[in-house]
Amino acid sequence: MSEGSFMRVRAIAKKEVVEFTRDWRTIIAIIVIPLLMFPLLFILFPVLLESEAAELDALELSIIIQSDGLPDNLAENISLNGMQFSLEILPNLSSLSEPGNDLERVRNSSTDAVLRFESNDDVWGYAILHLSTSERSNEARNRILNVLSDWENSEIRERIDQGGLDVNATLDPLRWDGEISDADVATMGEQSGMILSLFIPLVLAIWTYSSAIQPSIDMTAGERERGTLEALLCLPCTRMELLLGKWLAVATITGVGVLLQICGLLFAIGYLASSSFIGVPQLSMVSIGLIVLSIMLFAIMVVAFELALAMRSHSVKEAGSILAPALMLILFPALFTQVINLDGIEGFWFAIPVVNILLALRELLMNRVITEHVIIWAVSSVIYASLAAYYASRQFNREDIVTSLS
Amino acid sequence: MPKSLLSIQGVSKNFAEIEALQGISLEIYSGEIVGLVGSNGAGKTTLLRLMAGVYKPTSGSVNLSNGQAVTSMRQELGVVPESTGLYSRLTAWENIRYHSRLHGAPDSLSWARTEKFAEHLDMKDSLSRHTKGFSRGMKQKTALLRALAHGPNILLLDEPTAGLDITSARTVRALVRQLRDEGGTVIYSTHQLAEAQQVCDRIVIIHNGEIRADGSPSALLQDTNTDTLEDAYVSLTQDQARTRQEEKDKESAFSGWWRRLFTPRTPNTTLEVIEDE
Repeated sequence: MSEGSFMRVRAIAKKEVVEFTRDWRTIIAIIVIPLLMFPLLFILFPVLLESEAAELDALELSIIIQSDGLPDNLAENISLNGMQFSLEILPNLSSLSEPGNDLERVRNSSTDAVLRFESNDDVWGYAILHLSTSERSNEARNRILNVLSDWENSEIRERIDQGGLDVNATLDPLRWDGEISDADVATMGEQSGMILSLFIPLVLAIWTYSSAIQPSIDMTAGERERGTLEALLCLPCTRMELLLGKWLAVATITGVGVLLQICGLLFAIGYLASSSFIGVPQLSMVSIGLIVLSIMLFAIMVVAFELALAMRSHSVKEAGSILAPALMLILFPALFTQVINLDGIEGFWFAIPVVNILLALRELLMNRVITEHVIIWAVSSVIYASLAAYYASRQFNREDIVTSLS
Repeated sequence: MPKSLLSIQGVSKNFAEIEALQGISLEIYSGEIVGLVGSNGAGKTTLLRLMAGVYKPTSGSVNLSNGQAVTSMRQELGVVPESTGLYSRLTAWENIRYHSRLHGAPDSLSWARTEKFAEHLDMKDSLSRHTKGFSRGMKQKTALLRALAHGPNILLLDEPTAGLDITSARTVRALVRQLRDEGGTVIYSTHQLAEAQQVCDRIVIIHNGEIRADGSPSALLQDTNTDTLEDAYVSLTQDQARTRQEEKDKESAFSGWWRRLFTPRTPNTTLEVIEDE
């Protein structure tokens, strides 16, 4: 590339980035949302759930117990768990789960739940009538189940003891000796890489594609629709320079978005689980270099592909209706790749578009550099990126891109 | 004898079934203002785009007089397209500077020229403003400044006075003549005959993709034996102008069928409307 050509590509890219980032909606889309999405999802959402749970815990519930002889300690525990109850005689039904005459009482919320409890020699039978669409009724059911579970455990221990057996040895005859984490021979760095390999490739793939949609459309179909492309095509820059400049701009904007989102994700994971859950992955320089290479090849392919599709479109609306559903082409392989077992994986997986880069990232984040795999994904990705770039250049060379709807 | 700059030989341009231009031959000389006059859809913009190298001819050739492709003269070309093509989130100066940089002109040169011409066009105070709020006239002036900033020798102007007030339009015309006097060549597309008569040394009348006349305003009057250019134009273009509908009718059968499927039917007669009501 000559110096003049380089200057023109740089001028195009710079103008595109400046123009694109002057829109406050863009700043929100490429900086604020990626940065806050995961922290909000992982930190704020659990806080909301916790407050909701606390609200439920504070509820005073009223239930009906139908029994032919309720043990005293069970009744006491039910009271201690925030449930007021009234005792009734057990109705004569074919099974305890049959609602019978109590159906309406639960449905119209005159009671939160009905516990039926029946003694049969050594074995007790029970059923809880509840309304699964009511939060109060569900909460009542859960509290009753907890009380019954505790009562059952103490009953088991008592019976084992009465039988002359050691309770702990009978209930827990096989035990792990020592700290479970001490027995894992993987280093903290490797474990961190393993955890990150489950998030990073997925986020990278989906966010790279989705954050490139808006700038790709704005810089191609948007220009076409606004009628700014004609003046540009009359300038002494080649269409390849135009494509390169725009590609560079979209890749820069997308890169910033993806980087911020990964920062947000790591912050959220670190905040939630403190340092014991995740640390810095242990990566060799070769792995880091290959990670950068794989991301670059993926970005070249995705951005070129999106620019090409957007350039084919006559308007922003048309481009949006093509690019948005095309996200599926990334989403499905990305999700599928998460469940592929990397141990002993066959080489052909590393030649499948999209899947190859995601698998490569997973391996590399675990610091596994397998030469055969690297060669396959690198060569296939170069081919796919070249094909996407060729397709994009063909679209940019179309004569009709000068025509605009406006 | 003026020096030939651009040679258009037997050029036809088709878009699918539509013949936008048919066998056009035209010679453009240095230092003249050539007016392309024609109704909407006559083929003026297509011809300008061919001259700028944005389109390639279906047949024939558009070359510089030395035989080189037109794209090789883009460094010396200034273009004002019909749509002005300004970026609304950039200021007027940023728009101008962007194009100048792509022309390879240093910022100092383009700023000096922009300042000079902005004074003429009463745009100096608006150079630092975003073009988003600009009126049509201000956009047109900014596009003109952008086309002039890098010091072009050839100007392609597509309806450059469209949307301008009388004073501004007059200033633009004076500016165009000044550029010609300084040795520049201007190709000026318009559908206003009076304007063409005031500005152009030579008028090319295009109709239905063909050149119907080519000469100085006085020569056109003489050739058509008329007193005004309007009469001359009418006598040369008596056959009905092509309409978009005729062009659409030439679209493929599938495309037509597909469009009809999603287009509400319009009643053919007033009676149908009354009956529907």
